[in-house]
Amino acid sequence: MTKSRSSALSPALLAKIFGVAFFAYLFLGFMLLPCLNTLASIFTTQNASGEVDPLAVIRFFFAGNMGSYVWNSLKLAVCLVITVNIVGVSIVLLTEYFDIKGAKILRLGYMTTLIYSGVALVTGYLFLYDSNGIITTLLVNAFPGMNPNWFSGFNAVLFTMTFACTSNHALFLRNAIRGIDYNTVEAARNMGARPFKVLWKVVFPTLVPTMFSLTVMTFITGLCAMSAPTLLGYDSINPEIVRLAGSSTADEAFPQARAALLSVILALFTIVLLTVLSSYERKGHYLSVSKTKAKLQKQKIDNPVWNLLAHIYAYILFVIYMTPVVMIIIFSFQTYGAIRMKRLDLSNWTLINFFGTQDYEYLTNRGTYKTRKGSISGLFANEATLGGIKLSFILSAIAAALACVIVVVACNYIFKNRNKKSGTVLEYCLLFPWLLPTILICYSYRVYFNSEDVWYVGGTNLYYAEHVRLLIILAYTVVKLPFSLRMIKAAFYAIDEELEDAARNLGSSPLVTFLKVKLPIILPSVLAVFALNFNALFTEYDMSATFASSYGTTYAMVIQSMCREEGLYGYNVNASGRRCASTVFIMIVSGVILYLVYGVGARDLGERLEIRDRRRKRLEKIKSFGKRTGEAHT
Amino acid sequence: MIRLNDIVVKFGDFTALHDINVHVKEGEFFTFLGPSGCGKTTTLRTITGFIEPVSGSVVVKDRDITHVPIEERNIGIVFQSYALFPTMTVYDNIAFGLKLKKLRKAEIAQKVNDIARKVDLSDEQLKKAVSQLSGGQQQRVAIARALVTEPAIICMDEPLSNLDAKLRVQLRNELKQMQKDFGITTIYVTHDQEEALTLSDHIAVFNKGVIEQIGTPNEVYNHSATEFVCNFIGDINLLQGEAVAALNAGGGQVDPAAHNYIRLERIHVNVEPKPGNVVLPGVVDSREYYGLYIKYYIKAAGQTIKVIEKNDGVNIYEAGQAVKVVMDPRDVMAYPVA
Repeated sequence: MTKSRSSALSPALLAKIFGVAFFAYLFLGFMLLPCLNTLASIFTTQNASGEVDPLAVIRFFFAGNMGSYVWNSLKLAVCLVITVNIVGVSIVLLTEYFDIKGAKILRLGYMTTLIYSGVALVTGYLFLYDSNGIITTLLVNAFPGMNPNWFSGFNAVLFTMTFACTSNHALFLRNAIRGIDYNTVEAARNMGARPFKVLWKVVFPTLVPTMFSLTVMTFITGLCAMSAPTLLGYDSINPEIVRLAGSSTADEAFPQARAALLSVILALFTIVLLTVLSSYERKGHYLSVSKTKAKLQKQKIDNPVWNLLAHIYAYILFVIYMTPVVMIIIFSFQTYGAIRMKRLDLSNWTLINFFGTQDYEYLTNRGTYKTRKGSISGLFANEATLGGIKLSFILSAIAAALACVIVVVACNYIFKNRNKKSGTVLEYCLLFPWLLPTILICYSYRVYFNSEDVWYVGGTNLYYAEHVRLLIILAYTVVKLPFSLRMIKAAFYAIDEELEDAARNLGSSPLVTFLKVKLPIILPSVLAVFALNFNALFTEYDMSATFASSYGTTYAMVIQSMCREEGLYGYNVNASGRRCASTVFIMIVSGVILYLVYGVGARDLGERLEIRDRRRKRLEKIKSFGKRTGEAHT
Repeated sequence: MIRLNDIVVKFGDFTALHDINVHVKEGEFFTFLGPSGCGKTTTLRTITGFIEPVSGSVVVKDRDITHVPIEERNIGIVFQSYALFPTMTVYDNIAFGLKLKKLRKAEIAQKVNDIARKVDLSDEQLKKAVSQLSGGQQQRVAIARALVTEPAIICMDEPLSNLDAKLRVQLRNELKQMQKDFGITTIYVTHDQEEALTLSDHIAVFNKGVIEQIGTPNEVYNHSATEFVCNFIGDINLLQGEAVAALNAGGGQVDPAAHNYIRLERIHVNVEPKPGNVVLPGVVDSREYYGLYIKYYIKAAGQTIKVIEKNDGVNIYEAGQAVKVVMDPRDVMAYPVA
């Protein structure tokens, strides 16, 4: 019913045709076809005599130990759901609901996983907790009967991922608990409910929808875990897929088809879980019906024993969260010797892990000393590390920006056509990668585009040489589309529809309305999504490991490979120190980005003008003070 | 000035407007009044061009604008939410339409400053973000933005509904004054009958996609054309059989087969009846004290009759007190039973 003058104009029509063609190309070419190819590869396996045997891999699955990978992943996912929810709910309640002393500091500690995650976090934990790690050494000294190898396999993965996966709780559950109308708590207390009853009967039910979503997401994260099982030695699905993808038929039976089967099994689990989640979400959430919502006030724990226990628990969690971060920062200023021995040398601090180079002198087999020039190098002096950072920076920035641009354009269309089928189709197309595990997409890309037969990319082998970087960008972009869509779509729906009507009434074309009215409103959200995408991609390990290629060695891979070869033949002597330094550098970069986006970028125009006004007044005050002082002198 | 001829609007199978015919004269303050979902906003959006009618025409100054694009209609709008652009300053909000017309910078500044002065916005306020203004100030910005492009007509969609009661009354008066000063034809949408009665030259009362009555505030209030209008505008008493019989017994000519209504202020308590008046004995059931006046609920003629009396501070009746209810049968508005 609403008029659209522009649809009659040819440039708009051309743009529409181009848009449809682009999204069809994106969906069919980079989401559907590679994945279908992977699916098909399961059923086109050849047996020893060269005949196609469609069920060979499936028979192999049931006969061999492939099932154990699935079982291990499921075990991890189930346990992770329990532990992450316990810790996640705890950190939110301790900082937002209960009156715990030092809550602001605690919150900062609990949120460190926002800037310290992925492979950096796993290696940080390994540094502290492995058999000769600082904490393990301390613990073994305190409890001599303790197994020093406790931090390996399932235990280590569960421990690490429990604390690594609470970022979503820290963000989303915190928002949910802050949205509770305090009057409901007061009403319950007024009716005689004790504090624990209020928490259980009034507060928790309002958190259930958010917790359900977080539980499903945690389950999927556990199922698709990659860096922690790889580095800590746990046989789950993803590391096995990567191993099989790099294997050949000469070494074992149909590795590619097995990798494809495992990817599809992961996809099936993901689809089922997301279907459950979306049907649950469709049932609707508990919404506050209050027109005058009161801000939640922190609840004092009246029982002194419980209060003390809660404080102890809060600070133990804080120590667990903060120790790796603090240790990484401290050790980034330690010499390679101290790092290798994992002993703090308070008398010897250095900046070598950050800047400059040093020669390394070592004793040869012949008993002579040999010097390896520049073998100790800082993060900003080591070419390979800098190359990795540069490559990761460029690939992540491009992919994060591309995902945002694609989603903003798509959201504008979806928003305008929200009651039409075309809008719904576009939305589902962009959500499609959400149904598939990242590993399936990357593995599918690696296999499908490792050929010169794909006509729609100009017959270029995208897995060959430097082309792999384009492939990584494509994978990064596609993988980030669903998240970007969910976040940016919410921002679009928050725009007052009358703004668009007002702009059109004042003579604005749809393009001008989009650029001058809608885009500035959603820009903070878009920038936030860009920052979150960038932060996640900059340190990601899973995808680039799947694309393992010397031309696509990203920062996380560089650091990993250097640490593996640390000190070998006198090279990369301070690789661990450099890793600590680069983790510090990344934490600073991520922290600054998050501050800019959530701190500065989230301010509305009014707040910005007020700050500018205050700054101007302060400047005037200083100027007038200077003037007065000058006059007094004369 | 504006003519709506046989406008029909449909949303799928649902007919939102049935043959709407309206004539608004130049410089007039014309109000579309009705309950939620009655079609008043749909009619306004048809005039402004956001909705295209299935049939009928919109004519402004003898020009058929039914199919003219929104931006070429030269109609200003003040939205219910004001729809001020949150990322722009007050100045930029007002200047938005002028910039799109590609006027010179100096000319834009001149026009913005002129209109700001007229709607009582200071230079300091022009530099602020809209979020830094109060509700009343935001409303002035919305009006300034709608007026600065010098539209032929201004349409307002419940612009006072987001304000608190006191500010609403204050701005209502300012709005009326502004409309008089600018002399601009104004179409105003509201569900608030008091707002409609105080502001309007003419009112169109909408119900279920049709116009029940168009008239001056006095006409729609005192001579409601339909039972719906009579019920919707102001508070009213529906007289039951016993009361109707009593009126007829007192010399009135009230049709007992019809629905008979009488306004609260047309009934009096304990006054000397004039010729032709009917007196019913009653007992005060309860009262509501409004300060300026008092509303009584009186049990009389087998029903509860609501009466409004000016608060003179002397004649105030208590619950349970016996009173005389005086009314004139000629004040009864009768409507045939549907």
